[in-house]
Amino acid sequence: MKAVILAAGEGTRLRPFTVSKPKVMIPIANRPIMEYAVEALAQNGIRDIIFIVGYKKERIMSHFEDGNKFDVNIKYLTQPKPLGTAHALQFAEKEIDSDFLALPGDNLIDPKEISKLMESEGDNSLLIAESQIPSKYGVVFLEKETVTRIVEKPEENISNLISTGIYRFTPEVFDAIKTIGEQGNNDLTAVVQHMIEKGKKISGIYGIGKWVDAVFPWDILHINASAMLEAKMGTAGNIEKGVTIKGQVFIGDESVVRSGSYIEGPVVIGKGCSIGPNVCILPSTSMGDNVSIQPFTMVRHSVIMNDVQLGSSSTISNSVIGDGVRIGSHFATNNGEALIKIESGYHSVNDIGALIGEDTEIGDQVVACPGALIGAKCVISSSNKLEGTLPNRSMVR
Amino acid sequence: MCGIVGYIGDKDAVSILLRALKRLEYRGYDSAGLAIIGDGVSCYKDKGMIDNLQKTMPMMKGKIGLGHTRWATHGKPSKENAHPFLDCEGKIALIHNGIIENHMELRSQLLKEGHKFLSETDTEVLVHLIEKHYNGNLEKAVKESLKLVCGSYAIAVIHADEKDKIIAARCESPLVVGVGSGENFIASDVAAILDHTNNVAYVMDNEVVTLTKQGFEISTLKDEPVSRPIETVNWTLEDAEKGGYKHYMLKEIFEQPMAIHNSLLGRIPDLTLNGFLDGQFNSIKIIACGTSYHAGLIGKYIFENFSKVPVVVEMGSEYRYSEPVHEKTLVVLITQSGETADTLAAAREAKRRGSMTIAITNVVGSSITREVDYTFYTRAGPEIGVAATKTFTTQLVALYILGITLGLIKGTLEYDKIRELTSTLRKLPRYVQSVLDNAEHIETCAMTMVNASDVFYIGRNINYPTALEGALKFKEISYIHAEGYPAGELKHGPLALLTPNTPVVAIAPQDHTYEKMLGNISEVSARGSPVIAIGLREDTDLPKLADNVIYIPEVPPFFSPIPITVVVQLLAYYVARERKCSIDKPRHLAKSVTVE
Repeated sequence: MKAVILAAGEGTRLRPFTVSKPKVMIPIANRPIMEYAVEALAQNGIRDIIFIVGYKKERIMSHFEDGNKFDVNIKYLTQPKPLGTAHALQFAEKEIDSDFLALPGDNLIDPKEISKLMESEGDNSLLIAESQIPSKYGVVFLEKETVTRIVEKPEENISNLISTGIYRFTPEVFDAIKTIGEQGNNDLTAVVQHMIEKGKKISGIYGIGKWVDAVFPWDILHINASAMLEAKMGTAGNIEKGVTIKGQVFIGDESVVRSGSYIEGPVVIGKGCSIGPNVCILPSTSMGDNVSIQPFTMVRHSVIMNDVQLGSSSTISNSVIGDGVRIGSHFATNNGEALIKIESGYHSVNDIGALIGEDTEIGDQVVACPGALIGAKCVISSSNKLEGTLPNRSMVR
Repeated sequence: MCGIVGYIGDKDAVSILLRALKRLEYRGYDSAGLAIIGDGVSCYKDKGMIDNLQKTMPMMKGKIGLGHTRWATHGKPSKENAHPFLDCEGKIALIHNGIIENHMELRSQLLKEGHKFLSETDTEVLVHLIEKHYNGNLEKAVKESLKLVCGSYAIAVIHADEKDKIIAARCESPLVVGVGSGENFIASDVAAILDHTNNVAYVMDNEVVTLTKQGFEISTLKDEPVSRPIETVNWTLEDAEKGGYKHYMLKEIFEQPMAIHNSLLGRIPDLTLNGFLDGQFNSIKIIACGTSYHAGLIGKYIFENFSKVPVVVEMGSEYRYSEPVHEKTLVVLITQSGETADTLAAAREAKRRGSMTIAITNVVGSSITREVDYTFYTRAGPEIGVAATKTFTTQLVALYILGITLGLIKGTLEYDKIRELTSTLRKLPRYVQSVLDNAEHIETCAMTMVNASDVFYIGRNINYPTALEGALKFKEISYIHAEGYPAGELKHGPLALLTPNTPVVAIAPQDHTYEKMLGNISEVSARGSPVIAIGLREDTDLPKLADNVIYIPEVPPFFSPIPITVVVQLLAYYVARERKCSIDKPRHLAKSVTVE
């Protein structure tokens, strides 16, 4: 069986973390989130994978190359404009001649769920999950194991069963895509609804295993914490005397952890990092490569991407810090509940710190209020308070 | 990343293995070797290309064998360190891809027990370990041995006394069985065996496979049998190799953010190079050839600016005719391959005169690394395209890091300045990324150059060498004559050559030479030559003067050669592609120049 991974979208709701990479390349426990999907497919013996790429596709191609590293063969097809998931899938038509899987590249999926989908009866099937926030997905209505209706992002809370966007299709889906496309709709949910209306049976496979996806920036924290539980352990690099390491911790090559530092897993630290002395890293924190953390700083439940520099005596928790961010000393994120604006909607988020886009520079003694969403390449001078949303390239004096 | 292949069947193993190895060539390698079971086990291996191996190898006959290509990560590329490895009696042969982490302790144990080692590699312990556990059953010996090993591996082993099988095993490195009729294969990479079969079975971690002519059996290290379905792959070789790109050169251009990221790994925390250098030198000489020479010219600006020590740059082939160096000269040699004959000769000469020597190279353990006092690896990964791209930009990264080190040692850089510089270094991958994101516009600009008769590249200060590099890239792959000039020198001659059919690429970031560059651009457009200007984002002067403007992100001008180089690489690439040139292998050129 072949599989098609839809990886062409930018993920605009994940901005600013998609400024220089598509959302499927956002690091989760230091690996691009899409690697988890590829791995789940390979574990189920799916070797031929078609990547539909578009937005900043070269980032994906440079990482996955021909797929040999991942025991699969990858074929890249380009969707030149982001015109919807069905439009993207259409590009795979010429490569498909029998049943196949179609899935998004931005979620963490238990390989067992994939095998359930592969073994399911019926030609077309859809993997279903439960969600607390059904309004951000396609909501599904089931009768026994057949999908009777699917509604994209309903405003009312009509059911908490949602489509994971992971499908098994027969090639006849391409006809449905064309029909729906002629009506000006390019969404896979609409295609599935159309197939139901035409009397095609769509089986709903109810997944109970792990499934998490990244829609909003704060989802990165949950998905990271979840992936971290299964991350590899091991400590390379130079761990000085007097460093305490507890629990499941991974430290990459050529990293230096200096004396007096305390690391409590699950924690993943990349290569070439310079940590401490006297730095405290607490559970569910992942850190990319070339990160530098000055003395007396504490980081907890956060995702710190590549090339970040954190100053001394800072406190960072429940935060996502993008590539190359540089923060001075005495920085603090305040945790708590926040109302965060993404595109035109407001979202209430609990336990959130700061979300900071790549290459932003922050001076000394800056405080970030809960849910501060700071764009990429901003410059924030010392002794400021950050709150609300700042667009890319903002200057705060 | 090494490539491994094994064959068992009725055909001539040597020719099948050589062909399979050639299929892996595109991954890059520095040495290769074969082991064949005939009467006993015979093995031949060497540094260099597979074609050379084929020419120099003795007659080897057999129907079972192993083949290997190696890209050195630990231990230099050499005949001794190439695979396959043999045990003390020459009966067992083994090939390996991966890293054995506990090889030091295993090695010392085996040495105590009288095993003889011929190489520096981690792999060799495996073959001796298997020899130690061998008791008439190779499969059992392999399993016993692997239980003692920590690390990642895909291995394949043959034994002279068991002429009907290959044993292979995997942990965290790719391994696949190719199933033929009356013949079977094992490989690290499906591409290696697609010429013969498209039926494959994947081996998983901690599994051992016994391959015979008739079939294969998989079991775990704990001896539990495993059944594994045979899968059919239906892709073609073309698909695999370039991972979605049309040419290696384009693939490598787009790999630059990652290559630069890798070359920075671990360097910033240790700017003192482990305390290797002292401040005793009072002059610096940089020696290099070709593209590396252009890196050297940029290095001169970097070193002089950061350390205030005078720098001379020499071409490797001209160095021997210049004034000799002395003990107080620090000699920096730049060579991608580490094998460039002229640069190697210069390294020996400098050493003989008592200078401190540093090499900047991409190839671990290459010849230059044995001639110098300190080696700085650029870690760009294998580069297949003959035109250097990612290896050049990572050389620049190395020079910036080295420059900061020299400033630190000489006390000419303040602490705050160093923090500023290292911060910029950390941002380089994303500066380059944003140039790549602009590739479509660069392609449009390139289209205006396709039918040019000549092209001039002009720049000043640290971007004068960037102009040279732009012209070199351009002419070597598009076969259009191109020259790089210091912008101020145009009016001393070359201006006479300008016509409406000679585009000029003007490099004009906003440094202290900016005003003068604007003057030079006016000079050029007054002669009717189309101008493509490269400037910093939000520059408003350039669009008034130039026909086309390509913007790079607002990087500190002193670091602009890196993003600008990426621009000129893409210009060259798109023009050559449009002219249907042989981009990855330009006529008359070779990747590594090993003759003087």
